[in-house]
Amino acid sequence: MERADPTLTAAPIAPVAPSERGEAVDEVDLIPVRTYWQLVRQRFAQHRLAVMALIVLAVLVVLALAVPTLTGNTYKLTRLDRVDAMATVEAPLGYNEIGQNIAVRLAKATQTSLLIGLAAVLIIVGIGILVGSIAGYMGGWTDNLLMRFVDIVLSLPGLFIILMIVSLFGVGDVRVVIIAIGITGWTLAARLIRAEFLALRNADYVQAARALGAGHRRIIVRHMLPAAMAPLVVAAALGVADSVVTEAALSFLGFGISPPEASLGNMLTNAQSYFFSAPERALYPGVVLVLLVLCASFLGDGLRDALDPRQRIEA
Amino acid sequence: MLSYVLRRLIQAIPILVGISLIVFLIVYLSPGDPVDRFRNPRVTPEQLQRLRVLYGLDKPLIEQYLRWFTGFLQIWRPEAWGYSFLDGQPVIHKIAERVPATMQLMGVSLMVTIIFAIPIGVLAAVRQYSFADKLITTLATVGYAVPSFLLGVYVLYIGGVVLRGPDGRGLFPTFGQTSFGKDNDLLDLAWHLVLPVTSLAIQQIAGWARYMRSSMLEVLHQDYVRTARAKGLPQSRVLGKHALRNALIPIITLLGLTIPSLLAGAVITEFIFSWPGLGQLTIAAIGNRDYPVVLATSMLGGVLVIVGNLLADVLYGVVDPRIKY
Repeated sequence: MERADPTLTAAPIAPVAPSERGEAVDEVDLIPVRTYWQLVRQRFAQHRLAVMALIVLAVLVVLALAVPTLTGNTYKLTRLDRVDAMATVEAPLGYNEIGQNIAVRLAKATQTSLLIGLAAVLIIVGIGILVGSIAGYMGGWTDNLLMRFVDIVLSLPGLFIILMIVSLFGVGDVRVVIIAIGITGWTLAARLIRAEFLALRNADYVQAARALGAGHRRIIVRHMLPAAMAPLVVAAALGVADSVVTEAALSFLGFGISPPEASLGNMLTNAQSYFFSAPERALYPGVVLVLLVLCASFLGDGLRDALDPRQRIEA
Repeated sequence: MLSYVLRRLIQAIPILVGISLIVFLIVYLSPGDPVDRFRNPRVTPEQLQRLRVLYGLDKPLIEQYLRWFTGFLQIWRPEAWGYSFLDGQPVIHKIAERVPATMQLMGVSLMVTIIFAIPIGVLAAVRQYSFADKLITTLATVGYAVPSFLLGVYVLYIGGVVLRGPDGRGLFPTFGQTSFGKDNDLLDLAWHLVLPVTSLAIQQIAGWARYMRSSMLEVLHQDYVRTARAKGLPQSRVLGKHALRNALIPIITLLGLTIPSLLAGAVITEFIFSWPGLGQLTIAAIGNRDYPVVLATSMLGGVLVIVGNLLADVLYGVVDPRIKY
């Protein structure tokens, strides 16, 4: 049996509890009232994959932040006495062909990937909110014009354009990589937010806010954006995954981050040369990359369900 | 039908113009002077200025754009897309000789994707929640998360290093389109295609199979499928004739979405396996700062995306009788 969430029931609220009027107790009234964030937490906890993803991601983030901070410049340090050396306590994954500590490099590369992914997603979400909310809120010809623009950006051959931007504005420049990924990747965010805004623009509570004299900006920022959180989070999670993959691909091709700086992509390029002697070196950056992508998408799924106020809780 | 195709073609024009504007603006806004290439101590500033006039760089932005865009459309002229900075060849020739290889790679990958993904997705849907379904769903989720360049490296390792042929060398060739001296040998070509197609197709198969599964599940719950079952049709007929045909309709739209990702994947796969296609040309051109080639391939990529979407829309209309024009 499905229980309606008490905070959401649209039915007129009875001033007196039914039991006091001597009627049968409605099951709904027995559920304790919970705040929105309590509900979010409960709904998220039910999503087992998302919880697992959160844990794995937390471990990766802690390692990616702590290891490079504690070891400083070790990831660049080449030790000729340790060329291709076996694993030790301070280098659990061994040393590479120029005597660098692979584990430390991997942590640094993960940090770089996450930072680029987060920075690019800020651009993606920023442009997405701007375009999507204006298009959805205004409707009419503004919407039409903005959506045609979205169509054009969507038709851009993404990788070609990113490669072109990187080659023209500076190969190997992290800022260029971030901007190139950001300005080509915001279409999904914009479309999701627009769809949500189109559905909400005439909702009763938005009309109420309008009737109370709230300005456009206040309505968009304070009333409608919070309701569009769920699709926004999905777009952001997918955006992080996409950006991390794109950066790794760029670095793999030699147009992103190049040695001595560490990146998942350039570690993979490097490992290719040692397929016969040390094939496991190609596995490390790959595993981290796949884990990041999987975790981001599971986390996105879980957060979407958790943040959506229309989702019910299974008892 | 014809009028619909025409209408869609006309709708595609502003998108093409938009893409060309964006591509043009990216190049226009990039730092540096286009005549920097000619700068050296013996070239006077007056000569540089004459070069700018010669190339029309002194004209206003709009005029430069129009000249470039109208030039780009005149594909029957060999000089339409300019000349490569690297070897002075007309860009249009350099690209034309690379297109077939990329088409081969993308076409075969798409075929392999369809051949594998549809039965896999149907199987998962028909046996929903079975072990096979769970395995397929899990593998598809993980497979979709493995980017094609990563897969390319691993496929290359397994097919070219781990697996050994009878001669003790890698079982599959890891680079190029054909072996030396076997230019027209189809079998040799197919052998060379195995690894790049595998690395390109796996991610697509994962995505398509998931989509096919959910599409099939939706159809299986429809009334007409229940009716078909109720009137005593054998399972094969219910699935093949009633369910599958309808479940395939939404799959058609995937075609339009697949072309761009296939193209992006092909760029990297070509790089990994030294496949002599557009992607390899583009990456080499970017490395050499050969901008006329980069510009042209970007535009061509945009055209391909538009054509892919157009194709998907038209096909959708062909297969779905409910769609009227």
